[in-house]
Amino acid sequence: MVRPLTEQSYYELLEAPAEGTPQQIERAYRIARATYSPSSTAAYSVFSADECAAILRRIDEAYATLSDARLRREYDARLRHADPRVRVPTRASAPAPAMPLRQRAERAPVPPPRQSAPEPDIDGGLVPDNGIFDGDVLRRIRVSLGIELEEIAATTKINEHHLRSIESNHYDQLPPPVYLRGFLKQIAKCLSLDAGHVADSYTAHMRESSARRD
Amino acid sequence: MRRTGTPSWLSTRRGEPGLPGRDDDVVATPPSVARVWAVGGGKGGIGKSFLVANLATVAARSGKRVILIDADLGGANLHTCLGVRAGERVSLSDYFEERVLDLDKVAIETPIPGLRLILGALGHTGKAETTQEQRQALLKAVRRLPADLVIFDLAAGTDRSTIDFFLEADDGFVVTTPEPTAIENAYAFLRAAFYRRLAGALSDSNVRELIRVAMDQRNERGIRTPGDLLGAIEKLDPAEGERFRRVLDTFRPHLVVNQVRDTEEVKMGFSITSVCKKYFGIDIDYAGYICFDDNVWRSVKDRRPLVLAYPHSDGALYVRRIVKKLLGA
Repeated sequence: MVRPLTEQSYYELLEAPAEGTPQQIERAYRIARATYSPSSTAAYSVFSADECAAILRRIDEAYATLSDARLRREYDARLRHADPRVRVPTRASAPAPAMPLRQRAERAPVPPPRQSAPEPDIDGGLVPDNGIFDGDVLRRIRVSLGIELEEIAATTKINEHHLRSIESNHYDQLPPPVYLRGFLKQIAKCLSLDAGHVADSYTAHMRESSARRD
Repeated sequence: MRRTGTPSWLSTRRGEPGLPGRDDDVVATPPSVARVWAVGGGKGGIGKSFLVANLATVAARSGKRVILIDADLGGANLHTCLGVRAGERVSLSDYFEERVLDLDKVAIETPIPGLRLILGALGHTGKAETTQEQRQALLKAVRRLPADLVIFDLAAGTDRSTIDFFLEADDGFVVTTPEPTAIENAYAFLRAAFYRRLAGALSDSNVRELIRVAMDQRNERGIRTPGDLLGAIEKLDPAEGERFRRVLDTFRPHLVVNQVRDTEEVKMGFSITSVCKKYFGIDIDYAGYICFDDNVWRSVKDRRPLVLAYPHSDGALYVRRIVKKLLGA
Protein backbone atom coordinates (compact mmCIF):
# COMPACT_ATOMS: atom_id res chain seq x y z
CA MET A 1 0.00 0.00 0.00
CA VAL A 2 1.15 3.52 -0.78
CA ARG A 3 2.15 5.29 2.43
CA PRO A 4 0.48 8.53 3.59
CA LEU A 5 2.08 11.69 2.22
CA THR A 6 3.58 12.63 5.54
CA GLU A 7 5.41 9.30 5.76
CA GLN A 8 6.62 9.10 2.16
CA SER A 9 10.31 9.26 1.32
CA TYR A 10 11.52 11.91 -1.10
CA TYR A 11 11.66 9.24 -3.81
CA GLU A 12 8.07 8.25 -3.16
CA LEU A 13 6.97 11.87 -3.20
CA LEU A 14 8.55 12.42 -6.61
CA GLU A 15 7.61 8.88 -7.73
CA ALA A 16 11.20 8.47 -8.88
CA PRO A 17 13.31 5.32 -8.62
CA ALA A 18 15.64 5.25 -5.64
CA GLU A 19 18.48 4.38 -7.99
CA GLY A 20 17.35 7.01 -10.55
CA THR A 21 19.76 9.12 -12.54
CA PRO A 22 19.75 12.91 -12.14
CA GLN A 23 17.80 13.09 -15.41
CA GLN A 24 15.14 10.74 -14.04
CA ILE A 25 14.87 12.80 -10.85
CA GLU A 26 14.56 15.94 -12.94
CA ARG A 27 11.86 14.39 -15.13
CA ALA A 28 9.90 13.06 -12.16
CA TYR A 29 10.06 16.51 -10.57
CA ARG A 30 8.75 18.23 -13.70
CA ILE A 31 5.80 15.83 -13.88
CA ALA A 32 5.08 16.25 -10.16
CA ARG A 33 5.19 20.06 -10.40
CA ALA A 34 2.87 20.01 -13.40
CA THR A 35 0.49 17.60 -11.66
CA TYR A 36 -0.06 19.71 -8.53
CA SER A 37 0.36 23.20 -9.97
CA PRO A 38 -2.62 25.57 -9.57
CA SER A 39 -3.43 25.25 -13.28
CA SER A 40 -3.34 21.44 -13.30
CA THR A 41 -6.40 19.69 -14.70
CA ALA A 42 -5.29 16.38 -13.20
CA ALA A 43 -5.54 17.36 -9.54
CA TYR A 44 -8.06 20.17 -9.18
CA SER A 45 -11.18 18.01 -8.90
CA VAL A 46 -9.62 15.77 -6.23
CA PHE A 47 -7.39 18.00 -4.11
CA SER A 48 -8.19 21.49 -2.85
CA ALA A 49 -5.88 24.40 -3.68
CA ASP A 50 -4.46 24.23 -0.14
CA GLU A 51 -3.83 20.50 -0.39
CA CYS A 52 -2.07 20.94 -3.73
CA ALA A 53 0.07 23.72 -2.24
CA ALA A 54 1.06 21.46 0.66
CA ILE A 55 1.97 18.61 -1.72
CA LEU A 56 4.01 21.01 -3.85
CA ARG A 57 5.94 22.18 -0.80
CA ARG A 58 6.87 18.58 -0.01
CA ILE A 59 7.78 17.95 -3.66
CA ASP A 60 10.03 21.01 -3.75
CA GLU A 61 11.66 19.93 -0.52
CA ALA A 62 12.29 16.47 -2.00
CA TYR A 63 13.74 17.90 -5.19
CA ALA A 64 16.00 20.33 -3.35
CA THR A 65 17.68 17.36 -1.70
CA LEU A 66 17.63 14.79 -4.50
CA SER A 67 18.92 17.20 -7.15
CA ASP A 68 22.01 17.99 -5.08
CA ALA A 69 24.54 15.14 -5.26
CA ARG A 70 25.96 15.68 -1.76
CA LEU A 71 22.60 16.18 -0.07
CA ARG A 72 21.25 13.14 -1.89
CA ARG A 73 24.11 10.93 -0.70
CA GLU A 74 23.54 12.05 2.88
CA TYR A 75 19.80 11.53 2.55
CA ASP A 76 20.29 8.05 1.01
CA ALA A 77 22.51 7.09 3.94
CA ARG A 78 19.88 8.22 6.43
CA LEU A 79 17.18 6.43 4.46
CA ARG A 80 19.16 3.19 4.26
CA HIS A 81 19.65 3.33 7.96
CA ALA A 82 15.93 3.87 8.58
CA ASP A 83 14.60 1.50 5.90
CA PRO A 84 17.00 -0.91 4.13
CA ARG A 85 14.29 -1.81 1.56
CA VAL A 86 14.49 1.57 -0.08
CA ARG A 87 17.28 0.53 -2.44
CA VAL A 88 15.59 -2.61 -3.71
CA PRO A 89 15.60 -2.19 -7.50
CA THR A 90 12.17 -1.71 -9.05
CA ARG A 91 10.92 -4.61 -11.14
CA ALA A 92 9.31 -4.48 -14.55
CA SER A 93 5.58 -5.01 -14.28
CA ALA A 94 4.25 -8.30 -15.61
CA PRO A 95 0.80 -8.87 -17.09
CA ALA A 96 -1.66 -9.34 -14.26
CA PRO A 97 -3.09 -12.82 -13.68
CA ALA A 98 -6.58 -13.51 -15.01
CA MET A 99 -8.62 -12.83 -11.91
CA PRO A 100 -11.43 -10.39 -11.25
CA LEU A 101 -10.42 -7.17 -9.55
CA ARG A 102 -12.91 -8.11 -6.86
CA GLN A 103 -11.25 -11.42 -6.07
CA ARG A 104 -7.66 -10.32 -6.12
CA ALA A 105 -7.63 -9.07 -2.57
CA GLU A 106 -8.01 -12.57 -1.26
CA ARG A 107 -5.99 -14.56 -3.78
CA ALA A 108 -3.40 -12.56 -5.60
CA PRO A 109 0.07 -11.96 -4.24
CA VAL A 110 0.75 -8.38 -3.30
CA PRO A 111 2.67 -6.74 -6.15
CA PRO A 112 5.94 -5.02 -5.30
CA PRO A 113 5.54 -1.29 -4.75
CA ARG A 114 6.38 0.80 -7.76
CA GLN A 115 8.26 3.99 -7.18
CA SER A 116 9.71 4.70 -10.55
CA ALA A 117 8.84 7.24 -13.20
CA PRO A 118 7.82 5.76 -16.56
CA GLU A 119 10.47 3.70 -18.27
CA PRO A 120 10.78 3.27 -22.03
CA ASP A 121 8.55 0.50 -23.24
CA ILE A 122 10.57 -0.29 -26.31
CA ASP A 123 9.30 -3.83 -26.65
CA GLY A 124 5.73 -2.66 -26.20
CA GLY A 125 5.01 -1.78 -29.80
CA LEU A 126 6.85 1.47 -30.44
CA VAL A 127 9.75 -0.13 -32.28
CA PRO A 128 8.53 -1.72 -35.53
CA ASP A 129 9.19 -5.38 -36.24
CA ASN A 130 12.26 -4.49 -38.34
CA GLY A 131 13.85 -3.03 -35.20
CA ILE A 132 14.96 0.16 -36.93
CA PHE A 133 15.33 3.30 -34.84
CA ASP A 134 14.44 6.07 -37.27
CA GLY A 135 13.26 9.56 -36.39
CA ASP A 136 9.60 8.53 -36.03
CA VAL A 137 10.49 5.80 -33.55
CA LEU A 138 12.69 8.11 -31.49
CA ARG A 139 9.92 10.74 -31.42
CA ARG A 140 7.29 8.22 -30.34
CA ILE A 141 9.47 6.87 -27.54
CA ARG A 142 10.28 10.40 -26.36
CA VAL A 143 6.61 11.40 -26.34
CA SER A 144 5.60 8.18 -24.60
CA LEU A 145 7.93 9.14 -21.76
CA GLY A 146 6.42 12.62 -21.57
CA ILE A 147 9.71 14.27 -22.52
CA GLU A 148 9.55 17.54 -24.45
CA LEU A 149 12.08 18.24 -27.20
CA GLU A 150 13.15 21.32 -25.25
CA GLU A 151 14.16 19.11 -22.33
CA ILE A 152 16.43 17.05 -24.57
CA ALA A 153 17.91 20.25 -25.97
CA ALA A 154 18.52 21.62 -22.47
CA THR A 155 20.13 18.39 -21.27
CA THR A 156 22.28 17.65 -24.32
CA LYS A 157 22.94 21.23 -25.52
CA ILE A 158 21.99 20.04 -29.02
CA ASN A 159 20.26 22.70 -31.09
CA GLU A 160 16.50 22.10 -31.29
CA HIS A 161 16.65 22.51 -35.06
CA HIS A 162 18.97 19.48 -35.27
CA LEU A 163 16.73 17.49 -32.93
CA ARG A 164 13.70 18.22 -35.09
CA SER A 165 15.61 17.27 -38.24
CA ILE A 166 16.65 13.97 -36.65
CA GLU A 167 13.08 13.15 -35.58
CA SER A 168 11.65 14.21 -38.95
CA ASN A 169 14.19 12.13 -40.91
CA HIS A 170 15.21 15.25 -42.82
CA TYR A 171 18.58 13.77 -43.74
CA ASP A 172 19.64 16.69 -45.93
CA GLN A 173 19.44 19.02 -42.93
CA LEU A 174 21.46 16.88 -40.53
CA PRO A 175 24.93 17.74 -39.25
CA PRO A 176 28.01 15.88 -40.58
CA PRO A 177 28.06 12.14 -39.73
CA VAL A 178 30.65 12.42 -36.97
CA TYR A 179 28.47 14.92 -35.08
CA LEU A 180 25.29 13.08 -35.93
CA ARG A 181 26.47 9.89 -34.23
CA GLY A 182 27.33 11.84 -31.10
CA PHE A 183 23.94 13.55 -31.13
CA LEU A 184 22.11 10.26 -31.58
CA LYS A 185 23.98 8.72 -28.66
CA GLN A 186 23.08 11.62 -26.41
CA ILE A 187 19.42 11.46 -27.43
CA ALA A 188 19.39 7.70 -26.80
CA LYS A 189 20.80 8.23 -23.31
CA CYS A 190 18.02 10.72 -22.52
CA LEU A 191 15.52 8.05 -23.55
CA SER A 192 17.37 5.29 -21.61
CA LEU A 193 18.07 3.42 -24.86
CA ASP A 194 21.19 1.59 -25.99
CA ALA A 195 23.22 4.51 -27.36
CA GLY A 196 25.44 2.49 -29.71
CA HIS A 197 22.55 0.53 -31.15
CA VAL A 198 20.45 3.64 -31.78
CA ALA A 199 23.34 5.42 -33.52
CA ASP A 200 24.12 2.37 -35.68
CA SER A 201 20.49 1.72 -36.55
CA TYR A 202 19.62 5.33 -37.39
CA THR A 203 22.69 5.95 -39.55
CA ALA A 204 22.36 2.62 -41.38
CA HIS A 205 18.72 3.35 -42.16
CA MET A 206 19.66 6.86 -43.27
CA ARG A 207 22.30 5.49 -45.68
CA GLU A 208 19.85 2.96 -47.13
CA SER A 209 17.13 5.55 -47.57
CA SER A 210 19.52 8.02 -49.19
CA ALA A 211 20.88 5.32 -51.53
CA ARG A 212 17.34 4.36 -52.56
CA ARG A 213 16.50 7.98 -53.25
CA ASP A 214 19.62 8.44 -55.42
CA MET B 1 -39.72 -16.69 -29.32
CA ARG B 2 -40.31 -17.95 -25.82
CA ARG B 3 -37.64 -20.00 -24.20
CA THR B 4 -38.35 -23.03 -22.10
CA GLY B 5 -36.52 -24.53 -19.18
CA THR B 6 -35.01 -22.89 -16.13
CA PRO B 7 -32.23 -20.34 -16.48
CA SER B 8 -29.07 -21.74 -15.02
CA TRP B 9 -28.64 -18.80 -12.66
CA LEU B 10 -32.04 -19.38 -11.10
CA SER B 11 -31.25 -22.98 -10.36
CA THR B 12 -27.98 -22.21 -8.67
CA ARG B 13 -28.56 -18.94 -6.86
CA ARG B 14 -32.32 -18.57 -6.48
CA GLY B 15 -33.32 -17.37 -3.06
CA GLU B 16 -29.78 -16.54 -2.07
CA PRO B 17 -28.75 -13.47 -3.96
CA GLY B 18 -25.48 -12.14 -2.66
CA LEU B 19 -25.28 -8.76 -1.05
CA PRO B 20 -24.42 -6.11 -3.58
CA GLY B 21 -20.73 -6.20 -4.27
CA ARG B 22 -20.03 -9.07 -1.93
CA ASP B 23 -17.18 -11.40 -2.85
CA ASP B 24 -19.33 -14.41 -2.17
CA ASP B 25 -21.33 -13.52 -5.27
CA VAL B 26 -18.59 -14.96 -7.40
CA VAL B 27 -17.12 -17.71 -5.25
CA ALA B 28 -19.11 -20.38 -7.07
CA THR B 29 -18.00 -19.13 -10.48
CA PRO B 30 -16.16 -21.88 -12.36
CA PRO B 31 -12.53 -21.28 -13.26
CA SER B 32 -12.18 -18.74 -16.02
CA VAL B 33 -11.16 -19.80 -19.49
CA ALA B 34 -11.66 -16.49 -21.18
CA ARG B 35 -9.83 -13.47 -19.89
CA VAL B 36 -12.38 -10.75 -19.22
CA TRP B 37 -11.76 -7.06 -19.80
CA ALA B 38 -14.14 -4.21 -19.02
CA VAL B 39 -13.78 -0.73 -20.49
CA GLY B 40 -15.44 2.14 -18.64
CA GLY B 41 -14.65 5.71 -17.77
CA GLY B 42 -17.53 7.72 -16.43
CA LYS B 43 -18.05 10.21 -19.23
CA GLY B 44 -19.81 9.58 -22.52
CA GLY B 45 -18.23 10.37 -25.88
CA ILE B 46 -14.63 9.73 -24.85
CA GLY B 47 -14.08 6.82 -27.23
CA LYS B 48 -14.84 3.76 -25.13
CA SER B 49 -16.64 1.91 -27.93
CA PHE B 50 -13.99 2.96 -30.43
CA LEU B 51 -11.30 1.59 -28.14
CA VAL B 52 -13.18 -1.64 -27.43
CA ALA B 53 -13.80 -2.31 -31.15
CA ASN B 54 -10.15 -1.74 -31.97
CA LEU B 55 -8.64 -3.63 -29.03
CA ALA B 56 -10.87 -6.56 -29.94
CA THR B 57 -9.96 -6.42 -33.61
CA VAL B 58 -6.25 -6.47 -32.84
CA ALA B 59 -6.70 -9.40 -30.46
CA ALA B 60 -8.84 -11.33 -32.99
CA ARG B 61 -6.32 -10.70 -35.78
CA SER B 62 -3.61 -12.17 -33.57
CA GLY B 63 -5.57 -15.44 -33.40
CA LYS B 64 -7.57 -14.98 -30.21
CA ARG B 65 -11.26 -15.90 -30.07
CA VAL B 66 -12.87 -12.67 -28.93
CA ILE B 67 -16.42 -11.86 -27.88
CA LEU B 68 -17.56 -8.31 -27.23
CA ILE B 69 -20.46 -7.45 -24.98
CA ASP B 70 -22.15 -4.11 -25.47
CA ALA B 71 -23.13 -3.48 -21.87
CA ASP B 72 -24.26 0.07 -22.56
CA LEU B 73 -27.83 -0.98 -21.99
CA GLY B 74 -29.31 2.44 -22.58
CA GLY B 75 -27.24 3.51 -25.59
CA ALA B 76 -25.81 0.51 -27.38
CA ASN B 77 -23.78 1.42 -30.47
CA LEU B 78 -20.73 -0.81 -30.46
CA HIS B 79 -22.13 -2.70 -33.44
CA THR B 80 -21.79 0.41 -35.60
CA CYS B 81 -18.05 0.67 -34.86
CA LEU B 82 -17.72 -2.86 -36.26
CA GLY B 83 -19.89 -2.42 -39.33
CA VAL B 84 -22.67 -4.63 -37.99
CA ARG B 85 -26.32 -3.73 -38.61
CA ALA B 86 -28.30 -4.45 -35.47
CA GLY B 87 -31.78 -4.56 -37.00
CA GLU B 88 -33.93 -7.21 -35.38
CA ARG B 89 -31.03 -9.45 -34.46
CA VAL B 90 -30.69 -11.28 -31.20
CA SER B 91 -29.35 -9.13 -28.36
CA LEU B 92 -28.79 -8.96 -24.61
CA SER B 93 -32.49 -8.13 -24.27
CA ASP B 94 -33.30 -11.66 -25.43
CA TYR B 95 -31.01 -13.08 -22.76
CA PHE B 96 -32.33 -10.87 -19.98
CA GLU B 97 -35.95 -11.51 -21.05
CA GLU B 98 -35.17 -15.26 -21.10
CA ARG B 99 -35.99 -15.67 -24.76
CA VAL B 100 -32.54 -17.21 -25.30
CA LEU B 101 -31.02 -19.34 -22.58
CA ASP B 102 -27.54 -19.87 -23.98
CA LEU B 103 -25.44 -16.70 -24.00
CA ASP B 104 -23.20 -18.17 -26.68
CA LYS B 105 -26.17 -18.18 -29.04
CA VAL B 106 -26.58 -14.43 -28.50
CA ALA B 107 -23.06 -13.75 -29.84
CA ILE B 108 -23.38 -12.87 -33.53
CA GLU B 109 -20.66 -12.95 -36.16
CA THR B 110 -18.95 -9.72 -37.25
CA PRO B 111 -17.06 -9.03 -40.48
CA ILE B 112 -13.84 -9.70 -38.56
CA PRO B 113 -12.90 -13.40 -38.36
CA GLY B 114 -12.61 -14.60 -34.78
CA LEU B 115 -14.58 -11.65 -33.38
CA ARG B 116 -18.19 -12.02 -32.27
CA LEU B 117 -20.50 -9.46 -30.71
CA ILE B 118 -23.27 -9.58 -28.16
CA LEU B 119 -25.46 -6.65 -29.06
CA GLY B 120 -26.66 -4.25 -26.41
CA ALA B 121 -30.19 -4.39 -25.16
CA LEU B 122 -31.81 -3.00 -28.30
CA GLY B 123 -35.56 -2.70 -28.22
CA HIS B 124 -35.54 -3.14 -24.47
CA THR B 125 -38.87 -1.59 -23.66
CA GLY B 126 -38.46 -1.63 -19.92
CA LYS B 127 -35.84 0.28 -17.98
CA ALA B 128 -32.27 -0.27 -19.08
CA GLU B 129 -31.13 -1.10 -15.53
CA THR B 130 -30.69 -4.78 -14.75
CA THR B 131 -31.28 -6.67 -11.55
CA GLN B 132 -28.52 -8.12 -9.40
CA GLU B 133 -29.64 -11.62 -10.38
CA GLN B 134 -29.55 -10.84 -14.08
CA ARG B 135 -26.04 -9.47 -13.77
CA GLN B 136 -24.86 -12.49 -11.83
CA ALA B 137 -26.38 -14.77 -14.45
CA LEU B 138 -24.67 -12.88 -17.23
CA LEU B 139 -21.31 -12.86 -15.47
CA LYS B 140 -21.43 -16.59 -14.84
CA ALA B 141 -22.40 -17.27 -18.44
CA VAL B 142 -19.56 -15.06 -19.66
CA ARG B 143 -17.07 -17.29 -17.89
CA ARG B 144 -18.43 -20.26 -19.83
CA LEU B 145 -18.23 -18.65 -23.27
CA PRO B 146 -15.94 -20.40 -25.75
CA ALA B 147 -13.51 -17.49 -26.10
CA ASP B 148 -10.00 -16.42 -25.18
CA LEU B 149 -11.00 -12.85 -24.47
CA VAL B 150 -14.33 -11.25 -23.58
CA ILE B 151 -14.57 -7.46 -23.49
CA PHE B 152 -17.40 -5.48 -21.87
CA ASP B 153 -18.08 -2.08 -23.38
CA LEU B 154 -19.55 -0.26 -20.39
CA ALA B 155 -22.03 2.59 -20.28
CA ALA B 156 -21.09 6.09 -19.21
CA GLY B 157 -21.75 6.89 -15.57
CA THR B 158 -21.31 4.96 -12.37
CA ASP B 159 -24.51 3.00 -11.98
CA ARG B 160 -24.41 -0.28 -10.11
CA SER B 161 -24.44 -2.60 -13.12
CA THR B 162 -21.61 -0.70 -14.81
CA ILE B 163 -19.42 -0.84 -11.70
CA ASP B 164 -20.26 -4.51 -11.11
CA PHE B 165 -19.18 -5.48 -14.62
CA PHE B 166 -16.02 -3.43 -14.17
CA LEU B 167 -15.11 -5.11 -10.89
CA GLU B 168 -15.87 -8.57 -12.19
CA ALA B 169 -13.37 -8.23 -15.03
CA ASP B 170 -9.84 -9.55 -14.84
CA ASP B 171 -8.68 -6.22 -16.23
CA GLY B 172 -10.65 -3.01 -15.82
CA PHE B 173 -9.82 -0.10 -18.13
CA VAL B 174 -10.67 3.48 -17.28
CA VAL B 175 -10.73 5.67 -20.37
CA THR B 176 -10.48 9.43 -20.32
CA THR B 177 -9.54 12.25 -22.61
CA PRO B 178 -7.25 15.09 -21.46
CA GLU B 179 -10.25 17.39 -20.85
CA PRO B 180 -11.07 18.39 -17.24
CA THR B 181 -14.64 17.11 -17.49
CA ALA B 182 -13.56 13.66 -18.64
CA ILE B 183 -10.83 13.49 -16.00
CA GLU B 184 -13.27 14.48 -13.27
CA ASN B 185 -15.66 11.75 -14.40
CA ALA B 186 -12.82 9.23 -14.52
CA TYR B 187 -12.01 9.95 -10.87
CA ALA B 188 -15.70 9.63 -9.99
CA PHE B 189 -15.75 6.27 -11.75
CA LEU B 190 -12.62 5.08 -9.93
CA ARG B 191 -13.99 6.31 -6.64
CA ALA B 192 -17.29 4.46 -7.15
CA ALA B 193 -15.48 1.26 -8.16
CA PHE B 194 -13.02 1.52 -5.30
CA TYR B 195 -15.65 1.98 -2.60
CA ARG B 196 -17.84 -0.75 -4.04
CA ARG B 197 -14.83 -3.04 -4.13
CA LEU B 198 -14.19 -2.19 -0.49
CA ALA B 199 -17.80 -2.81 0.50
CA GLY B 200 -17.49 -6.23 -1.13
CA ALA B 201 -14.28 -7.14 0.66
CA LEU B 202 -15.20 -6.06 4.18
CA SER B 203 -17.88 -7.91 6.08
CA ASP B 204 -18.35 -6.12 9.42
CA SER B 205 -21.70 -4.31 9.27
CA ASN B 206 -20.38 -1.26 11.15
CA VAL B 207 -17.47 -1.00 8.75
CA ARG B 208 -19.75 -1.34 5.74
CA GLU B 209 -21.90 1.44 7.15
CA LEU B 210 -18.77 3.56 7.54
CA ILE B 211 -17.92 2.97 3.87
CA ARG B 212 -21.45 3.97 2.90
CA VAL B 213 -21.01 7.21 4.83
CA ALA B 214 -17.58 7.84 3.30
CA MET B 215 -18.96 7.54 -0.23
CA ASP B 216 -20.62 10.89 0.34
CA GLN B 217 -17.66 13.24 0.04
CA ARG B 218 -19.37 15.81 2.26
CA ASN B 219 -20.08 13.34 5.03
CA GLU B 220 -20.39 14.57 8.61
CA ARG B 221 -17.71 12.21 9.88
CA GLY B 222 -15.07 14.25 8.08
CA ILE B 223 -13.83 11.27 6.07
CA ARG B 224 -12.36 12.88 2.96
CA THR B 225 -9.94 10.36 1.56
CA PRO B 226 -9.53 6.59 1.59
CA GLY B 227 -6.66 7.24 4.01
CA ASP B 228 -9.10 8.88 6.45
CA LEU B 229 -11.45 5.93 6.00
CA LEU B 230 -8.67 3.45 6.71
CA GLY B 231 -7.89 5.25 9.95
CA ALA B 232 -11.55 5.14 11.00
CA ILE B 233 -11.87 1.45 10.11
CA GLU B 234 -8.69 0.49 11.97
CA LYS B 235 -10.14 2.09 15.09
CA LEU B 236 -13.28 0.01 14.69
CA ASP B 237 -11.71 -3.30 13.70
CA PRO B 238 -7.98 -3.81 13.01
CA ALA B 239 -8.65 -7.03 11.05
CA GLU B 240 -10.95 -5.16 8.68
CA GLY B 241 -8.27 -2.49 8.41
CA GLU B 242 -5.86 -5.17 7.23
CA ARG B 243 -8.38 -6.32 4.59
CA PHE B 244 -8.69 -2.71 3.51
CA ARG B 245 -4.93 -2.57 2.96
CA ARG B 246 -5.14 -5.70 0.81
CA VAL B 247 -7.77 -4.06 -1.36
CA LEU B 248 -5.51 -1.05 -1.81
CA ASP B 249 -2.65 -3.32 -2.80
CA THR B 250 -4.62 -5.36 -5.32
CA PHE B 251 -7.02 -2.88 -6.89
CA ARG B 252 -5.11 -1.96 -10.01
CA PRO B 253 -7.17 -0.72 -12.95
CA HIS B 254 -5.57 0.32 -16.22
CA LEU B 255 -5.73 3.89 -17.50
CA VAL B 256 -6.02 4.83 -21.19
CA VAL B 257 -5.92 8.47 -22.27
CA ASN B 258 -7.63 8.99 -25.60
CA GLN B 259 -7.34 11.88 -28.08
CA VAL B 260 -3.91 12.95 -26.92
CA ARG B 261 -2.54 15.82 -29.01
CA ASP B 262 0.94 16.50 -27.64
CA THR B 263 3.56 15.49 -25.08
CA GLU B 264 1.85 17.63 -22.45
CA GLU B 265 -1.28 15.52 -22.79
CA VAL B 266 0.70 12.28 -22.72
CA LYS B 267 2.00 13.45 -19.34
CA MET B 268 -1.61 13.82 -18.18
CA GLY B 269 -1.68 10.06 -17.82
CA PHE B 270 1.31 10.15 -15.47
CA SER B 271 -0.36 12.95 -13.53
CA ILE B 272 -3.61 11.02 -13.13
CA THR B 273 -1.73 7.97 -11.86
CA SER B 274 0.10 10.23 -9.42
CA VAL B 275 -3.13 11.74 -8.11
CA CYS B 276 -4.63 8.26 -7.70
CA LYS B 277 -1.56 7.21 -5.74
CA LYS B 278 -1.58 10.25 -3.49
CA TYR B 279 -5.36 10.44 -3.02
CA PHE B 280 -6.61 6.84 -3.10
CA GLY B 281 -3.31 5.21 -2.23
CA ILE B 282 -3.77 2.92 -5.25
CA ASP B 283 -1.23 2.17 -7.91
CA ILE B 284 -3.08 2.30 -11.22
CA ASP B 285 -1.38 1.23 -14.43
CA TYR B 286 -0.98 3.75 -17.24
CA ALA B 287 -1.64 1.23 -19.99
CA GLY B 288 -1.24 3.72 -22.80
CA TYR B 289 -2.70 6.52 -24.80
CA ILE B 290 -4.21 7.00 -28.24
CA CYS B 291 -3.11 10.08 -30.13
CA PHE B 292 -5.64 12.39 -31.71
CA ASP B 293 -5.89 11.22 -35.29
CA ASP B 294 -8.25 12.36 -38.05
CA ASN B 295 -8.30 8.78 -39.25
CA VAL B 296 -10.27 7.87 -36.12
CA TRP B 297 -13.41 9.76 -37.11
CA ARG B 298 -12.95 8.64 -40.70
CA SER B 299 -12.93 5.02 -39.54
CA VAL B 300 -16.00 5.57 -37.35
CA LYS B 301 -17.76 7.20 -40.28
CA ASP B 302 -16.77 4.23 -42.47
CA ARG B 303 -18.03 1.90 -39.69
CA ARG B 304 -14.72 0.02 -39.75
CA PRO B 305 -12.21 -0.39 -36.91
CA LEU B 306 -9.29 2.00 -37.27
CA VAL B 307 -6.75 -0.81 -37.13
CA LEU B 308 -8.29 -2.29 -40.30
CA ALA B 309 -9.24 0.88 -42.14
CA TYR B 310 -5.99 2.74 -41.42
CA PRO B 311 -3.56 0.15 -40.09
CA HIS B 312 -0.52 2.39 -40.52
CA SER B 313 -2.01 5.39 -38.72
CA ASP B 314 -0.56 6.57 -35.43
CA GLY B 315 -3.86 5.80 -33.70
CA ALA B 316 -3.73 2.17 -34.85
CA LEU B 317 -0.14 1.85 -33.67
CA TYR B 318 -1.04 2.96 -30.16
CA VAL B 319 -4.04 0.62 -29.98
CA ARG B 320 -1.79 -2.31 -30.95
CA ARG B 321 0.68 -1.18 -28.32
CA ILE B 322 -1.92 -1.47 -25.56
CA VAL B 323 -2.97 -4.96 -26.68
CA LYS B 324 0.65 -6.04 -26.87
CA LYS B 325 1.29 -4.78 -23.37
CA LEU B 326 -1.74 -6.52 -21.90
CA LEU B 327 -1.85 -9.73 -23.93
CA GLY B 328 1.62 -9.95 -25.41
CA ALA B 329 -0.20 -10.41 -28.74
